[in-house]
Amino acid sequence: MNRKICKLLTIVLVISLLYIPGCGFGSQPEILYVAIPYSDNIPDIDTNYYINYLEEKTGLDIVVSFVKMESCDEYLDVLFASGAEIDVVLFGGSFVPGDGVLEEYASRGDIYLPDGEFKYVSEGWDTPAGAGTVLWINREWLENLGMAIPETTDEFEAVMEAFKTGDPNGNGIHDEIPLAGSPDEYDLNPAEFLMGSFVLNDPYHSRMTADGKRVWADPSYRAGLEYCRGLYEKGLMDKGIFDCSYAQLCEMVNSPVAIVGAFTSSSIGDVIYRGNPEVMARYVHVPPLTGPGGASYAMIPENKPKIGAIILSRSEKKEAAKLLLDTMMSEEASLIARFGEPGVDWEYSDGKDISIYMTPSTVITRNYIRDVIQNKNLNGIGPMAVPEKYIYGVTWNGLNSDAEYVDARAQTAYMDCFAGHNGEFPARNAELSDYLDRYMIAFVTGEEDIQSDGVWGEYVSGAEEILH
Amino acid sequence: MKKQIAKTISVMLAVIMVFTQAACGRTAEDAWLENACLDKDETTEELYEKALRENILVVYTVSTRATKTKEAFEETYPGLCVEIRDLRSPDLVEEVEKNYYSGHSDCDVIICNDNSGEFKSRIADTGIAVPYLPSDIAARLKDPESNTMGSFTYEAEMLFYDSAKYDECPITNIWELADEKYRDRIYMPNPLHSFSTYAFCGGMLGVEDRLASAYKNLYGSEPDTGGMSVSDYFWKSVSENVVFTNSSDEVLEALGSGSADFGFMVSSKLRLIGLGYDIAPIYRLDPFSGCRTSYSAMIARNSENINSAKLFIRFLYGESDGKGEGYKPFSTAGTWSVRTDIPDGNDVPLDEIDLFVPDLDVLTENREHLENYWMCVLESKA
Repeated sequence: MNRKICKLLTIVLVISLLYIPGCGFGSQPEILYVAIPYSDNIPDIDTNYYINYLEEKTGLDIVVSFVKMESCDEYLDVLFASGAEIDVVLFGGSFVPGDGVLEEYASRGDIYLPDGEFKYVSEGWDTPAGAGTVLWINREWLENLGMAIPETTDEFEAVMEAFKTGDPNGNGIHDEIPLAGSPDEYDLNPAEFLMGSFVLNDPYHSRMTADGKRVWADPSYRAGLEYCRGLYEKGLMDKGIFDCSYAQLCEMVNSPVAIVGAFTSSSIGDVIYRGNPEVMARYVHVPPLTGPGGASYAMIPENKPKIGAIILSRSEKKEAAKLLLDTMMSEEASLIARFGEPGVDWEYSDGKDISIYMTPSTVITRNYIRDVIQNKNLNGIGPMAVPEKYIYGVTWNGLNSDAEYVDARAQTAYMDCFAGHNGEFPARNAELSDYLDRYMIAFVTGEEDIQSDGVWGEYVSGAEEILH
Repeated sequence: MKKQIAKTISVMLAVIMVFTQAACGRTAEDAWLENACLDKDETTEELYEKALRENILVVYTVSTRATKTKEAFEETYPGLCVEIRDLRSPDLVEEVEKNYYSGHSDCDVIICNDNSGEFKSRIADTGIAVPYLPSDIAARLKDPESNTMGSFTYEAEMLFYDSAKYDECPITNIWELADEKYRDRIYMPNPLHSFSTYAFCGGMLGVEDRLASAYKNLYGSEPDTGGMSVSDYFWKSVSENVVFTNSSDEVLEALGSGSADFGFMVSSKLRLIGLGYDIAPIYRLDPFSGCRTSYSAMIARNSENINSAKLFIRFLYGESDGKGEGYKPFSTAGTWSVRTDIPDGNDVPLDEIDLFVPDLDVLTENREHLENYWMCVLESKA
């Protein structure tokens, strides 16, 4: 009888062992639950080349949970308040945490920081650091009106005036918007670009210079605001510009009938939809305009790398999570995350070609898979560390409407306007930045009188109070 | 190497397919050609009516100006839609060839620079694309006999200078470009990725006597080439000063921003002077300032939208009377008409400009040498 019980127990034990993941015969891969923002560009995650590559490299079973909430911060609130079985969260695209949000969760112990830092960053997906915003102007309208690309703020105003009154789209209707934009991001707000023609304007560092100068209180800064106010008052800057969402701006610019004369963005591909060569052909970059005092600065974006992923402290699979994210940060994985399947979507260059930055090429792109429906990578979501030589070494794929190529040409034209961006800038003061941003809009729209010394004085005092 | 093998296999497969079908009588391609009725005189009304029953017309083009033609075409012929794919010449040839050998007819009309010999040998001579030249338009061509590849406009690959820096052209002889003072001040598209630049660089092999005599005019003696051809020696000397770009647009922007003193680019960029670019063409230079080029419009073999394609090409030529809107985007400064009834877009006529016409046979015969030579040049610049 005892022998029978022993035999039965042995069988039960063996069967149990088989069902424990990662143990026994025919071991099952460890499951890792990864939250990824939903993207229309990734049609089938189960057959996604990059996910399959990562599973093969790590031996993990990556179970993806798509996040459909648009607000990353709201999602994190819900995630940490719930007990949802998630080990890793990936960020990217518009799904990025707000300033200081992750730091706060980390200080509460909700985020696990290997080596005590946010080491899983995303470097290499975005346009290489250079000008933070570029002015794009409707070349066809210039040609129709017989006008040149403006070089100064005065010329720019004259062009905007002609765009408004000259019916450059030729439809006989006054439907032209000379200068469009959105306050959603600094690069989409043309006032930020125009301020560079008056003063070194760096909204990413609370409009301060490396040597601590308070640009926001400078008479040149005020002159810039007066100029922008003038454009707004005359209807040359879209009256709805500060209520316009990013999506609305894109709709306007991509309208089949051209209605937008100029707009700003860090990448033309951020605003013009893919597969729209006719619209892409309409616009050409304008180098920074020279202001009345001779200033001509390009805006430089914050170069702090974005965080691409976090591991939750409550995860019981931290080692597996680290293995996954460390793998994603490897050069091989980063190149897949950036360019797609090696040998199919891209290949290494022998260096005899010329990159879009006119340097020896390192990568030849065969299929342009950025921001299009594809199943090769996560379209910029997640951590990556693409070495600089590959970021700047991309060859042109021959398409005139290749956004990366159009951007590179613009960046080349802005290179001479980076003077003044040297040294260590003071850290961004969120409260001060919000205050200055609000006042910029108020001055431009006329809600606050930029001409009034009294109002200006109050504004400056208010900003100084925040600093004290 | 892999590419070559794949290409060889594709070609072999295509040949096998053709012969398999031929064994069964008439090939599908014969049928397509017969049904296409490329020799038939058809009115625009007839073509339009038939085109309305077809699908979206896909145009592969190397010129962004085709977008303007598309817009005017869609306006003139309501109900017809055109999709433009804007590609660089070598990529266009690659794509068209790939389409053909894969059995797809992804594009209907091809607008390409036809001067490197590549388009002729790989697309025109192989019949992957066929010309369509209606008799009413052919009757108005300046040179109908030599127009075997559907050339609809003449242009040039030529030298420009920065007119903001120089009141007048600072050189009179092309060999002066080798002067060290122009180090990194001459911009030029990579000849391996630009058919017109390739035609200019490679085409010099066919006019070496003129190049040598210009050297003598400048220095008083024959060039000591060290065994090289005069053309290779010229480019070896000049390329030291050259910054290579991806396209003529970058050359234009470099000249406009003052980064370059000289730039080789397509003459049609002259139309952008109105946008404020301070550039001036060099019309007179010993022995030449560039070479004549042309653009072809052809129908892709196996196009399923043959009537739309024919209608579009007629439109591109400016229709029967030359007054159609389709050619207007191409009738700009830096272009010359192929028709007797359409005036040149450029003020200065072609015969008053120091240009040579590249010999396509020379380019084809020397392709391997030229590619290796330019790869070495580019490598030395890396």
